[in-house]
Amino acid sequence: MKKSKGIQMPYEKRKSLYGYGFIGLWLVGTIKWFLIPLITSLKYSFETVTPATGGVQETWVGFENYVYAFGVDPNYSKYLVSVLEDTAIKTPLIIIFSLFVAVMLNQKFKGRGFARAVFFLPVIIATGPVYAIISGDMSSSGSSDASQFSTMFETDLVGELLEFVGIYGISDTITETIQSVTTDIFSLVWNSGIQILIFLAALQNIPVSAKEAAQMEGATAWEYFWKITFPYVSPMILANLIFTIIDSFTDTSNSVMNRILEVQSDWKYGEAAAMAWSYFVIVMIAVGIITVIVNKFIYYEVD
Amino acid sequence: MAIPGSNSLGDKKFEAKISDKVHKASMTKEQRTYLRNKSLLEKVWPVFRFLILFGLCFVILYPLIFMISCAFRLQTDMNDPTVMWIPRHLTLSVIKETAEAMNFGETLKNTLLLNIGCSLVQVVTCAITGYGFARFNFKGKNILFAIVILMILVPQQIILIPQYTQFRYFMGTNINLINSPLTMYLPALMANGIRAGLMILIFRQFFKGLPKELEDAAYLDGCAPFRTFVQIMVPNAKSSFLIVFLFSVVWYWNDYYVSTSFFTENKTIALMLKNLDTTLNTTLFNSATAQVSVREKIVWMEAGCLISITPILVLYSCLQKQFVEGIERSGLTG
Repeated sequence: MKKSKGIQMPYEKRKSLYGYGFIGLWLVGTIKWFLIPLITSLKYSFETVTPATGGVQETWVGFENYVYAFGVDPNYSKYLVSVLEDTAIKTPLIIIFSLFVAVMLNQKFKGRGFARAVFFLPVIIATGPVYAIISGDMSSSGSSDASQFSTMFETDLVGELLEFVGIYGISDTITETIQSVTTDIFSLVWNSGIQILIFLAALQNIPVSAKEAAQMEGATAWEYFWKITFPYVSPMILANLIFTIIDSFTDTSNSVMNRILEVQSDWKYGEAAAMAWSYFVIVMIAVGIITVIVNKFIYYEVD
Repeated sequence: MAIPGSNSLGDKKFEAKISDKVHKASMTKEQRTYLRNKSLLEKVWPVFRFLILFGLCFVILYPLIFMISCAFRLQTDMNDPTVMWIPRHLTLSVIKETAEAMNFGETLKNTLLLNIGCSLVQVVTCAITGYGFARFNFKGKNILFAIVILMILVPQQIILIPQYTQFRYFMGTNINLINSPLTMYLPALMANGIRAGLMILIFRQFFKGLPKELEDAAYLDGCAPFRTFVQIMVPNAKSSFLIVFLFSVVWYWNDYYVSTSFFTENKTIALMLKNLDTTLNTTLFNSATAQVSVREKIVWMEAGCLISITPILVLYSCLQKQFVEGIERSGLTG
């Protein structure tokens, strides 16, 4: 017995040494390019940082930068609230929409390959500056000539449709809601590429036996969705939820991120760091709360 | 009169009908309504599905069609109310002008070198790291893995300023690495490039899914872990490598947030496109005679977009299948 242990131990031990070997390069890089910058930036957030030759000059100021971010800066808190609101509205919409589209794209029909290719197109384009230009030309907000031109095209279509159906002018609120939803469809579709991809992969993992059993028992499509599809993809709903929230918060085109960049380019490193850190903490708290709540409703097949 | 073959065929059909009827008669009322509803749904649903998907595809393709339509027209067409999709003055001159202003050839070469170089290096290092996390037990593994998760969660802008000073005064000396491609290569070389955390996670999940017996057998045959990794695990992970590489290329291609901080010159396509407005103002519309309205400028902006996404679109259309099936194969969901 002792002998066999003597053979096993070095193998395990050697394996653990090899483990360090495999992650060694990453570890060095992470300390240099991630952990040190992370801690430095946390330190900056409590300091006044001024660029000087051979580095930066730092003076400790305590929580002054945080006070500046929330109290003095005219835009930061305002933008923060609007980004939080925006994400709270957008996230459930994106999740529902992408699940819906994924279910459709999972069915068999002619031209499915083409439809899938089109739906994933935003994944490769939407992250870049191309999206900024496209949505700038398309969106109804903004007052430049460019956006007015395309707005004219878009809203008129919607307005005409509403008039045709006969609800134009009945109630301003109804018209406004419909119009805001229809203009949002653009950003909705363009922002849910990866979510559709993840849901689609989860849908394809549903065992055929589950589907057959449901058909034998005479489940309607509605029942099938809620009793088979939904439980199977529910872990991915959480994953998608977190992904969507993080993606929306770290989206480089959102107003808080832009405000931080602006402050940064004013050489106010300390203030920018304080803003970035408080933003990050708020995002983490939001993600934490949502994870805890949603986790209760998730069905895990294993254990 | 009757052909024997068809007669027996008709008989069979008839029999089938009868048995179907008998079968239906033996059903309860609920079963019949269930079947009726089902067949009704099967007829109606495809029509709805087609309408919905067609509409949504249009929403996605609309900007691209608009882009193509704009890029090939003269600026005067923007003010012509009769021109909606088909330009009246079909021309390549706008695209040529934009490409010249963007210094397209040089920029493309730079971007490709940077992209493919960084992606290749990063895929290799991330795969090695992911394998280390998937297959070895060592002290502090959980804490280290938590750092990987943290890398995914921490927004880029938190660490950008200190990184900038690190590159400006590299290793505490006065070596200035700003504007050098090393600012991109060095982190990628150490598995810390753009979205490296996510890539490590994907590789870890993938390698976890492979059977453990593979390595144990290799070990018994006297194969060292690194050789096992190169000779046994890597060939098994080919599709995973391809998909992570493709995504990495796309991410590097589209990145402008990180590169804005490290490059003061417009060296990559994304950066060039981001600042296209300014570039155009200084090069094309600088003279007093060239007065263009904001609406007319769309023509050049869309042309810039078109030529910047064309390479990545070509890549996508060639490898579309791998992209779509990739996430599933990469093991992210398993």
